[in-house]
Amino acid sequence: MYRVAVSGINAVDNPGPGVGIAKGLKEGSLEVSVYGLAYDAMEPGIYMKWLFEKSFIMPYPSAGEEAFIERLLYIKSNYGLDAVIPALDAELPLFIKSSSLLESYGVKTFLPTEEQFKLRGKDHLPKIAEKIGVKVPETRIVTSYEELNKALEELGFPVMVKGIFYEAYKAFNISQATSYFNSIVSKWGYPVIVQQVISGEEMNLVGVGDGEGGHLGFLAIKKLWITSLGKTWTAVTVRNDKLFSLAESFVSNFKWRGAFELECMVSGSDVYLIEINPRFPAWVYFAAGVGVNLPERLLKAALGLDPERDWNYPAGKLYVRFTDDLVTDISQFQQVVTTGES
Amino acid sequence: MNLQRLAINDEGFIFDPETGNSYTVNKTGLFIIKFLKEGKSEEEIVKALSEKFDVSEEDARRDLVDFMEQLRLYGLLEGENV
Repeated sequence: MYRVAVSGINAVDNPGPGVGIAKGLKEGSLEVSVYGLAYDAMEPGIYMKWLFEKSFIMPYPSAGEEAFIERLLYIKSNYGLDAVIPALDAELPLFIKSSSLLESYGVKTFLPTEEQFKLRGKDHLPKIAEKIGVKVPETRIVTSYEELNKALEELGFPVMVKGIFYEAYKAFNISQATSYFNSIVSKWGYPVIVQQVISGEEMNLVGVGDGEGGHLGFLAIKKLWITSLGKTWTAVTVRNDKLFSLAESFVSNFKWRGAFELECMVSGSDVYLIEINPRFPAWVYFAAGVGVNLPERLLKAALGLDPERDWNYPAGKLYVRFTDDLVTDISQFQQVVTTGES
Repeated sequence: MNLQRLAINDEGFIFDPETGNSYTVNKTGLFIIKFLKEGKSEEEIVKALSEKFDVSEEDARRDLVDFMEQLRLYGLLEGENV
């Protein structure tokens, strides 16, 4: 029996990947007990006892490494903990920094290096494009109105205005672009990314790099239906060789280790790389559902077991996310609030 | 031809495994696509359409050209003419 902790168990309208990861782990060949790591007593995963045997409230990563590690070691010493699969962007720097320390306590992870993690910044896209020979939309990195205006002149309209890690808007004129620029700066700070709009099919790919240039499987999808927050609710598997070779080139050039998601635009015979996420996407269960159990393969890699690598899934498999509800007693909530675990 | 990769069922539902797009066509569309997939020429398809649906070759040709233009628009058919 392996005990593995998973974060991102906020199965809300902006769902984290944790529930999908746990479903994959539960359906796999390993016998696992999954613990949920939550940041709020209301995170629905805490109450999904069929997936998460136990859940723990974590200190925010911003509270610092010490409190965070201490909490994980508390779980380890009281309940046993063999591995952690972090699934939220905000936690990753801390987990990456502490991975050797955690390993020394017998808690395994399978994460990208600090250098690899930095690649997710949209300002790095042009560099990545050059290295792996893939197209990216014309991109300008701006930190002032002067630079913004210059970028708009060069790129024309419509244009994407994006925060370096979060938020993206399509602007059709200067006043819209300026207003999005201001809104992004006030929330996320500088720099702001101004990017050419690429028209085509939006496709996403999830995979796990083995850290040596190979991978443990890919799954490519086209989103069919997204919510107003841009979250995938219905999708279909695709097999697109150009997308696969982009992903293979990405993994082999950067020797990517751990989970990743590539967001791409396919326009005729061109594939553009739009974004890299250094973790599983919320729809990762789709992979497990079509026989490419990436969460379990990542766990096996973390534990030093030999994971499967086949990924010959069929095109035309449909993914449908739905909302659900359950009824439980207030005592469960009380327990989480008062003891920080349940 | 991009048509070769399409998965087509008898009810006229078409799925493109490379792009994830799906389409529906009526009986006539399905008839034409099957012929195009088999590599039949425009003339052969016109004749077959005219016989099957009891329309003049002129009407059949006009509808065929129209339909093929639609297929090109969706990136399912390459080139000018079959």
